[in-house]
Amino acid sequence: MSTGKTRSKLAPGRVAAAALVAAALLSACATEHGLSESSSVPAAGAAELPPAMAPGGVIPGAGTLIPPNTVTPPISKNYPKTIQDSSAGPAVLSLYRKAQDARAAGNAEQADELLERARRIESHNPFIWQAIAGTKLDLHQADQAEDFAARSNDLARGNPYIEAGNWRIIAAARQARGDTGGALQAQTQADNIARALSAD
Amino acid sequence: MVRKKSPRFAWLRSPLVVWTLIGLAVAVSIGLLLFTLYLVGLDGEVRAKFAAVRWVLPAQVYAAPLEVYPGAALNLEQLRHELDRLGYRAGDELVGPGTYIPAKDSLRIDSRAFAFWDGAQPEQRVEVRADAQGISALRLMGSDQSLDLLRLDPMLIGSIYPSHSGEDRVMVKLSEVPPLLPQTLLLVEDHDFYSHGGVSLRGIFRAAFANMRAGHSVQGASTITQQLIKNLFLTNARTVKRKFTEAWMAVLLERHVSKNEILEAYLNEVNLGQDGPRAVHGFGLASQFYFNKPLNELQPHEIAMLVAIVKGPSQYNPRRAVKLVLERRNMVLKMMADAGDITPDEYQDAIQRPLGVASGPGGGAARFPAFVDLVRRQLAGLYQEQDLTNEGMRIFTTLDPRVQEALENRITNDVPELEKSRRMAEGSLQGAGVVTSVEGGEVLAVVGGRDTRYAGFNRAIDERRPIGSLAKPFTYLTALEQPGRFNLQTPLDDVPIDVPLPTGQIWSPKNYDRQIHGALPLYMALAKSYNLATVHLGLDVGINPVRKTFAAAGFDDVPEVPSIFLGAIDMSPLDVAQIYSTLAASGYRTPLLAIRAVLTKDGQPLSRYAFKLEHTLPEGPVYLTTWAMRKVIELGTAHWATSVLPAGRVYAGKTGTTEDLRDSWFSGFGSDRVAVIWVGRDDNKPTGFEGATGALRIWGKLMRDLDAKGIEPLPPADVAELGIDPVSGLRADEGCGEIVVMPFLRGGEPQQYAPCSNQSKSAPSNWLQNIFK
Repeated sequence: MSTGKTRSKLAPGRVAAAALVAAALLSACATEHGLSESSSVPAAGAAELPPAMAPGGVIPGAGTLIPPNTVTPPISKNYPKTIQDSSAGPAVLSLYRKAQDARAAGNAEQADELLERARRIESHNPFIWQAIAGTKLDLHQADQAEDFAARSNDLARGNPYIEAGNWRIIAAARQARGDTGGALQAQTQADNIARALSAD
Repeated sequence: MVRKKSPRFAWLRSPLVVWTLIGLAVAVSIGLLLFTLYLVGLDGEVRAKFAAVRWVLPAQVYAAPLEVYPGAALNLEQLRHELDRLGYRAGDELVGPGTYIPAKDSLRIDSRAFAFWDGAQPEQRVEVRADAQGISALRLMGSDQSLDLLRLDPMLIGSIYPSHSGEDRVMVKLSEVPPLLPQTLLLVEDHDFYSHGGVSLRGIFRAAFANMRAGHSVQGASTITQQLIKNLFLTNARTVKRKFTEAWMAVLLERHVSKNEILEAYLNEVNLGQDGPRAVHGFGLASQFYFNKPLNELQPHEIAMLVAIVKGPSQYNPRRAVKLVLERRNMVLKMMADAGDITPDEYQDAIQRPLGVASGPGGGAARFPAFVDLVRRQLAGLYQEQDLTNEGMRIFTTLDPRVQEALENRITNDVPELEKSRRMAEGSLQGAGVVTSVEGGEVLAVVGGRDTRYAGFNRAIDERRPIGSLAKPFTYLTALEQPGRFNLQTPLDDVPIDVPLPTGQIWSPKNYDRQIHGALPLYMALAKSYNLATVHLGLDVGINPVRKTFAAAGFDDVPEVPSIFLGAIDMSPLDVAQIYSTLAASGYRTPLLAIRAVLTKDGQPLSRYAFKLEHTLPEGPVYLTTWAMRKVIELGTAHWATSVLPAGRVYAGKTGTTEDLRDSWFSGFGSDRVAVIWVGRDDNKPTGFEGATGALRIWGKLMRDLDAKGIEPLPPADVAELGIDPVSGLRADEGCGEIVVMPFLRGGEPQQYAPCSNQSKSAPSNWLQNIFK
């Protein structure tokens, strides 16, 4: 993921544009509610997502038999769209909300600190990692933004809503670094996911 | 008219007398002049010196604060333990910050206000409820309002004081001190403080009388001002000259400085104890040092004790001379009661109480020398030594006192036990450990040796020893990064090998069990830690690619020799924690940090240490390697751990043993904690322990004690899990009797079906074609 990144000096205009993209994205996430299935489905955090396979396998000498399995991709609608739809606890939601307020007020540093606290409480919640990636863009740390978004993607375990958002952050981060080609690639990735979602 | 001179004074006319008198007058004048000059000089000196007093204000080091929230895996007993550790006082009512009321299914807490790095938090009264799962609800008392989160004030874990003087203090202002403290201090040490001019004749007489009556010295005659002068500017020498200078300096100081300024300076300067090389100065630190809580929460009997030991903290050491201190404390309490400063009831209550000094040398502060040592090193490159020791900076660290306590308990209990089991000389076996978070690179606990309070050699950081088989996962990971060549099922040859070295020598590694195991799947070679298979694999992928993997994980001091495949790499437990945390975090490297934020003494942020993340190793191959490391515990060299680890939770790790059983290592992780344990001897002699019989024993129980979360075994997008026939290593289906479910990088999975599968039975020719293709 990080290999071959082109690093260049940050252009303020680009960073601002990147921040706008990310901010628009996050606010969009925050205002979109209402997936009827989401409440009945164990939600965000890799732990609660439907496992692709029963954990652990059979190993020689271990004795148990598990029939071979094929991975069926879960229906995209089962994924939580926002952190509010997810199983995040009240402490994390409260910190996340405060972080959003801080970000909206232009205080990215404070937002970063609040999200750090949230991440310590639910360290594998991909929404938090995504929000940190967004604040890293605000803080003009494009490299960090991309790596946090990538980590969020890993933890999202196929949640297309999170992945689309992360690819947009990655696009903005690359754009901020002057990597137009890489930005375009990431944006295409985001658009493809968005298209698949709207077709679903 | 000429007056007739009286013959009575005729001798006055004697020239001798006249000259003597003149001489005397001149001498007195000169004397007075000199004395005046002396006083003027002394006055200048006192003023200059007092103005130039720059308090040594060592940086204060705090642990990470405990966050209490609904859903936190914390029961009330554990929460009480945390409150007690912070010096909170249990009682029937909340009488102020730092108190709590325990009940069967709830705790009511009056939390202390605290200025955190990200803002001030006010005092709060909160009711915490818990059930079997942990914290269930928080409610602001006096309202129906529920609370999402309560952050407790962090524990003060040490300070960075100057090594030459050892002078340590926590500065207090007179206005913030509970009034009973200065009242009691003056009552005992300087009754006329507000009326004398620096020296008190009444005080001298009173002290002499009191001492005579008691038959021994119970009161000093020096005023507070004199004592301050002595402590600040003079030596301890009991000479007339020093006493004389002290008295005059005291008189002069009082002319320039207000009584309250003198009193405040005294409260911060007076020596109140010694802790190894560290000198405890002032009541602010003494309160933490002896009672593990801030000064404004002290009870009358605690204030009385601090005032009691002013007389001589080495003689009146509350941790050693308990009886002596208790007697003097009760005498102080009697004086307080007689003066009406406490009520008779308070007096009766107070004299019944024990000293209540926090246990162990060091008390509340300086408890974690190995961790504070790490903090000091991480700060060293960023701040001048003098800024750290003198500017009163506040350093917020990542130390988790619960994790630290668990690690300390394991090392201090288990190392001696292991030692005994091998009948080794007492004290010869050592141990060290590090625990970090999986995400965020936070160092949660450090233990540098079995004597956890000893601020000496820090084995967790400074002891660099060969890591043995702890290195193996990085060779396997390097191989698994080539899905076209290697997967977990790839057969490896565990057969003897002779490796020619550049020096002309031949290196012939052996397995620990001296056996040869032939062909076996790659994951099994790691699980069983077979050396020969590993060397074959390492030589196949190359030395430099393996070194690159180490560097990507966070350690780049790896020599370019084939023996690195078997761990001929000198590393400290902290170094190992770094590279294993990169594996635990799916290939994202975060430099390990012990510091979160640094503030000035006024709470202005100097630096914040947001962790840096870098994706340095590909997630898929890391997942496969971790899967094999899970097998180390499930069925490999670390199988013992399953007897202590919580059932149903999955962990990954690796044993490490070095030549002649000198070092015993274990490093492993779940989804929230990485823990590294080393056991060995300082003289580097054999211990008789393998990784599995030594360090693993400590690691397994530690992870159990920490209630470490298990790995969430969810493969990343580029990994597919397939059923495999263990005999052929090919794909299996319902037709096969035994199936291993194993992850493969997409594109690296076996395409053919095993002979046992229905698939191949229905199309045997196809299968045969594939085999011989």
